[in-house]
Amino acid sequence: MFSLTRVGLHSKALLRPSLARAITIPGLPQVPQPPGNIIGTVNDAYVPPPPHKLEGSIHWTSERIVSVGLVPLTLAPFLTGASTIVDSTLSALLLYHCYAGFQSCITDYIPSRTYGKYHNYANYLLLFGTGVAGYGIYDIETREGGLGKVVSKVWKA
Amino acid sequence: MSIRGVASVKASHDQEQEILVAQRKNRPLSPDLTIYKPQLTWVLSGLHRVTGVAMAGGFYALTCGYAASSIFGLGLDSAALVSAFTALPLGVQFLAKAVMSYPFVFHSFNGIRHLVWDTGRELTLKGVYRTGYVVLGLTATLGSYLIFY
Repeated sequence: MFSLTRVGLHSKALLRPSLARAITIPGLPQVPQPPGNIIGTVNDAYVPPPPHKLEGSIHWTSERIVSVGLVPLTLAPFLTGASTIVDSTLSALLLYHCYAGFQSCITDYIPSRTYGKYHNYANYLLLFGTGVAGYGIYDIETREGGLGKVVSKVWKA
Repeated sequence: MSIRGVASVKASHDQEQEILVAQRKNRPLSPDLTIYKPQLTWVLSGLHRVTGVAMAGGFYALTCGYAASSIFGLGLDSAALVSAFTALPLGVQFLAKAVMSYPFVFHSFNGIRHLVWDTGRELTLKGVYRTGYVVLGLTATLGSYLIFY
């Protein structure tokens, strides 16, 4: 190897074990990383990801719109009691809010760079779970008259 | 004035690449939370995600439970939930309500804090601390109030 003492990297103080420990998800196989996590050469230009219709600023804006909408919808059941239409809207927006939040967690903790195809599997699983939860909301609205009623009944039990 | 000799190493492209790889191997991994002193800024940020994920998990568990119950006829409804909840000891009931109400109030008001930031307001260190303390105060008072609601 090219002399590392010359660039001051031989010192043991730099090689603390805590630096080498990454937080990983047990049981998920990882993609082997190139040495030093470098892809390409010293001065490669940044290659931006291709533009996507549903990602980037539109995704960000839609998340904000949903979050702003959740504020009055969350307050309404406390102040006036929730009608089925308010409760359905709240549940639908809440579902998207949770979906977007879980998506962010998958992006952060199960990145495709480290986990390869399992990143996509996690997203498919989330999409499936969100579909099932959506049907569950429909079931709650028709059978119980809304999420608010279920929570309120248990809370006042 | 003293003159200091600067030693330079003549290196080829491949050698430069090797140096870069060796340097980057020594870089700390991000996020390395253990090296930071706990501060209001990142602790509240972490709590926002933790409370959000926990409540979203609860929301998915409840709704997916209803969906599964509807498809497989498991008999999950509010009456079953109420009888399961009332079967718990009183202390556990209050604990369960606290575990739900504090994260709910915290995430709601910290979410509004995020929306305020999104408009460009309170985006200074002072603003971050000021709004952070407001959120903590509201969480303590309204969170406690909701437990006995």
